Amino acid sequence: MLTITVNGKKREVHSAEDTPLLYVLRDELDVTSPQFGCGLAQCGACSVLLDGKEVRSCITPAVVAAGKEVTTLEGLPDRWAKQQHLSPAQAAKTLHPVQEAWIEQQVHLCGFCQNGMMIKATELLESKQNPSVEEIKDTFTNSGPSPHLCRCGSYVAIIEAVRFASTLMAKGGAQ
Amino acid sequence: MIGFTEQTTDVYGAQLSRRGFMKAGGALMVGFGLLRSGAAEAAAANTSLRAFDASLPGSWIEIRPDNTVLFRTGKSDFGQGTIYTAYRQIVAEELDLPFEAITTVVSGDTDVTADGGGTFDLLGHGSPNIRKAAAYTRQAILQLASEHLAVPADQLSTHDGMVSGGGKQVRYGDLVKGKDLKLTIPVSGDLTSIIGLAVGGNPPMKPVSSYKVIGKSYKNSIIAEKVKHQEPWVTNVKLPGMLHARTIHPPTLGSRLVSAGKVDKQKYPNAQVIVKGDLVAVVAPTEWEAIQASGQVAGATKWTEWKGLPGKEKLYQYLRNEADWNATPVQKSRKSAGDVASGMKSAAKVLKATYELPYMKHAPIGPTVAVADYRPDGVVTVHTHTQNAQALRGELAMMLGVNTGKVIVKTYAGAGHYGRSNGGNAGAEDEAVLLSKELGKPVRVQWMRNDDIQWSTQSPAAFTDIRIGLDGNGRIVAYEADHHQPAGQDDRPIGAVLAGLPTMPAPSEKGGMLTSIANGSADPWQYDAVPNLEERYHGTFQIGQKASPLAIGLRDHSMRTPTQYQQNFPRELAISDAAALAGADPLQFRIDHAKEERLIHVLQRLREESAWQTRPSPQPAAASTGSTPVRGQGVSVMFRGGVYWACACQIAVIPATGDVKVEKYTIVVDPGIVVNPEQLKRQIEGGAVMGISQALYEEVAFNESAVTAADWISYPILKMNEISEIKVVLLNNPSVGSYGQGSEAANALASPAIAAAVFDATGKSIRRLPLRSVYVKELLKA
Repeated sequence: MLTITVNGKKREVHSAEDTPLLYVLRDELDVTSPQFGCGLAQCGACSVLLDGKEVRSCITPAVVAAGKEVTTLEGLPDRWAKQQHLSPAQAAKTLHPVQEAWIEQQVHLCGFCQNGMMIKATELLESKQNPSVEEIKDTFTNSGPSPHLCRCGSYVAIIEAVRFASTLMAKGGAQ
Repeated sequence: MIGFTEQTTDVYGAQLSRRGFMKAGGALMVGFGLLRSGAAEAAAANTSLRAFDASLPGSWIEIRPDNTVLFRTGKSDFGQGTIYTAYRQIVAEELDLPFEAITTVVSGDTDVTADGGGTFDLLGHGSPNIRKAAAYTRQAILQLASEHLAVPADQLSTHDGMVSGGGKQVRYGDLVKGKDLKLTIPVSGDLTSIIGLAVGGNPPMKPVSSYKVIGKSYKNSIIAEKVKHQEPWVTNVKLPGMLHARTIHPPTLGSRLVSAGKVDKQKYPNAQVIVKGDLVAVVAPTEWEAIQASGQVAGATKWTEWKGLPGKEKLYQYLRNEADWNATPVQKSRKSAGDVASGMKSAAKVLKATYELPYMKHAPIGPTVAVADYRPDGVVTVHTHTQNAQALRGELAMMLGVNTGKVIVKTYAGAGHYGRSNGGNAGAEDEAVLLSKELGKPVRVQWMRNDDIQWSTQSPAAFTDIRIGLDGNGRIVAYEADHHQPAGQDDRPIGAVLAGLPTMPAPSEKGGMLTSIANGSADPWQYDAVPNLEERYHGTFQIGQKASPLAIGLRDHSMRTPTQYQQNFPRELAISDAAALAGADPLQFRIDHAKEERLIHVLQRLREESAWQTRPSPQPAAASTGSTPVRGQGVSVMFRGGVYWACACQIAVIPATGDVKVEKYTIVVDPGIVVNPEQLKRQIEGGAVMGISQALYEEVAFNESAVTAADWISYPILKMNEISEIKVVLLNNPSVGSYGQGSEAANALASPAIAAAVFDATGKSIRRLPLRSVYVKELLKA
């Protein structure tokens, strides 16, 4: 049996340790924001943060996450609250600035890929405060196992939202 | 008034009834009554076809005592956001309520919505239903208020959820409080058809000049729900005892099953194989076991071999020389004018060219998925993501040989698929139903990435021969086009076909609407100054369909701008080619041949907004060799859904590598009334990106047996670092009086504009998509 910390909580995992993390999260732990897009690490719909680094859960065996911290879309508000040392009361009504930006900029078309896009944006903005448009494009295309793909064509909105999120983060959030 | 039984009054053809008082709550429920005529009568006679039991709450709109409103639509959301934004705005506008008062949108599910129809053309054929329902409701409110206030209805007005007049006023909510009111509005049509039911009559609508809610950028509520992961996705549906299945589709589009493999029980103790005709699936309690076991069983399953496709390399050769274009009569454009033969004879110069488009995929970012729950009483509930839940219901009932009353379809958020399920199924639903029925348990079927590319439908390939005659002044004197395209819509559920169960017929020469192989006009002619015009449309069978023992082959389907893309790409590129032959600027050339003021205005604005260089193509420094980028510009127009669209693309080509990069995409749109500018802008940006992707990358690879594209490497799409600057200019034009529709036109426009820009940059015409570097490099060398 494996133990994985998922969104701040230690979870015991009974699936075989070579089971891809995606199915462990979705089917066993009921953490359903990572989506199955290709199962081949070619699209990014299944992205999660593993100790702060974006990985494709569809090809990451669960055992790789043992003893590590997995953050999914569900865990982004808490991640931000911890980083900002927010009180529990503040934390309860706070979204991650990336999420605030995605709403403000009305990014989603169908939105099936946007879980991975928000995860990628979080990874980027945690390492770089004010990325340029070119840096954003480069990150979403060339870092990680494959480009993050959006079939609806929301790339323009994503870039605008990442820029917006970076200004929110610089101000310490939406408030 | 206590104790009255039921009192009914007429409201512009709708019936308002009061059935007495209620102790608590109360509401005005707006339901529907089928018009007793033609097909509607047959539908009404078969009560199972009614989506709603009359005892259920209102079919369309509920006004509640707290002045909030719920509305229902049979359409669903595929990322357009329309049902959460524009539809809310339309209902609020016609009811004279604030946007925020529309608190609940019930959509898609066949058991709680009334009208059915497809999730497409939402502001075109889709919006009158909800708009008229709201308009009838407002009239009923006026009548109720007239009685309540003892003021004649014609002296009353509505605003912000209040009725006032004669120095008195009352909230809508107070009119319905404690009352059981029902407004029955007239509808007609066939619920499970592609367009569903239509609200009849002509209730008075609010004049466009007094709009307050329409035209503003309200946010799409579903986005916040998705960002917070509160909106249930179809992929997340879990039912007690649910099993996971993976289908093992045949290796070719014509293979029959010889023998299904057996599960290696050592490795996969809980998995089992289910076989129904040529449909093979592996089912297991966990998803990962089902995936692994299906891989193992697939390797052990034997199929007959089959070849019956031309292969991608010979596609256009096959279409021109071998496809049977005589099986269905040639159609002609209604706009045909003058005498093309004599016009062409008089021409000083003639352009003669062929334009070719490949098969393309909807390619949703997530594959089709459905959960079916078949119960012992024979009622099956299907949880899925479909653009047309009622049509799917009809297809599943047909497959099972039961009344539609036995099938319930529930819809959820899912991966957009751009038209693939507008006729009902997206792929997995029928398979899930068959497996659930077989096993007596809920079954979840999700296709793997390769299934979704290889076993789904596609946008059909096409070619068009065009001749354009120019007179001595460089004006078009005659235009003649022969459009060739295989049948464009095959809604047969593939699992039912493989299992040998009943489906609608495959497209044929005998088929009716949506099952015919006939080709027809889908791209309205825009150059009304051309004196002699003839467009002909040639149809044929889907490739491989007749040769396949399963009647499958390359199944085609609507995608974004179905058939219009296949006709607009050749026309618009040919118009640019003709402008070059005439030595004219291609944008001005279009204006010179147009008569419609809206189109001319859109083109003039495009010239300003895109920093268009007015000059003939190719540009003076055009080059088809060398490794220095050469730049070019191209333009295209489309009329779709009552909307005028024009786009300009500025591109760079590196001749030595064939790399084409779009640097700027400018689109100018006159949609009539803009309902929600921000949402429309986002839709158009998305369409533009998908359109650039189609132009530069997309084609379905296939060999003589099967689709060989299987993933995002073999079916590449545009990546974020390849997007251009995208400029969207919305020209709000309320005088048109209708809502803009068809933002998917933004997709289609990119291809002819980019191809024209490649000619402008290089001086070489490339009349075939996609403009992948390997093809461009080769064609520039030729």
